[in-house]
Amino acid sequence: MPRKKMEEEEIEANLLPVMNVMFLMIPALLMAMEFAQMASINVSPPKFAAAAQPKDEQEKKDEKPLNLKVFVMEDGFRVSADGQQEGAEAGKSQDSKAPTIGLAKQGAPLTDYERYDYAQLEAKAKGYKQLFPNEQVVTISAEANIPMQTIIMTMDALAGRTCKIAKALKGGEKIPDECLFWQPIVEGGAS
Amino acid sequence: MTPEQEAFLAKKKEKAAARRAKPEEKANLGITSLMDIVSILVVYLLKSYASDPIVINPTAGQKIPMSTADAPIQDGIPIFVTTRGITFDSKKIVTMTPDGDIDPSQVQNHLIGPLYDQLAEEVDKAKQLAERQNKPWTGRVILVGDQDLKFSVLVDVMYTTGRAEFSEYSFCVIRKS
Repeated sequence: MPRKKMEEEEIEANLLPVMNVMFLMIPALLMAMEFAQMASINVSPPKFAAAAQPKDEQEKKDEKPLNLKVFVMEDGFRVSADGQQEGAEAGKSQDSKAPTIGLAKQGAPLTDYERYDYAQLEAKAKGYKQLFPNEQVVTISAEANIPMQTIIMTMDALAGRTCKIAKALKGGEKIPDECLFWQPIVEGGAS
Repeated sequence: MTPEQEAFLAKKKEKAAARRAKPEEKANLGITSLMDIVSILVVYLLKSYASDPIVINPTAGQKIPMSTADAPIQDGIPIFVTTRGITFDSKKIVTMTPDGDIDPSQVQNHLIGPLYDQLAEEVDKAKQLAERQNKPWTGRVILVGDQDLKFSVLVDVMYTTGRAEFSEYSFCVIRKS
């Protein structure tokens, strides 16, 4: 019996459906990816404070410095300007027992970053900014156990939470009016 | 052999001859669409990388603080500080206590010994490089912290970097959308 010869046929793979699926999958996967946009907050240690705030205009030279300081405590913010703590007893420059701004959430643990009243702190910073429009520097200190996220949120509130400064820093544009005290100085162990 | 069989064999032979005579076709793979996708991806990825000159890869379990700040990260030396340790140059050089404080044997008067040694070495190298390139050396350190990092640890790290001649600090944050 003669052996049946298999007919060799060229099979061409139809890649079109695969390409269609790929074409849909790539944008879907790219959209599903989570991108964390990084940013930075430039801070200065106390000894570089003078360099961080150049004063080149005569008007600025004549202005009395604000010396705004914010101390983050476990029970709230203590705000002082020009060495005088807000809310201190009469005749006293400081009253460490009472914070200037109390907690927004009483009894919340330190890891609850929303326990502080950032809105009130921002409102206070706006008030100071109206009085000292050329001031940009604020000194921030905290108690040892305060978490970094709280420090960052305090910096955000003092800078103004709607402050977008990237363009101004990059292109030499004017600093937006929403930006309050956007040059933080971190001071350790201040009181 | 019947005439039908003969006809069948003749037809078969014809088919075989036609098959042999047929020139071999080369299969062409249509890669135009694939190239389109790859081109789009390359442009997209290049754009992503171009907007972020510094790539920060957080250490395992690190939760970088969130912020409304939008200033871009400037060039500098990153130090990863978490509640479990301090990592520099991909090496964990300082360990923390379970409470999140720096191991007391590694810190003295706010100076973190192992970190200072590593930074001093890095500063020497960076200064030499800047000298060769006739560029001024600006010591900027990028502190990649953790949400729960204690302020006391942050101050110790800043003090140590300051002693190692770094004068500019950036806190790395994740931009809130």
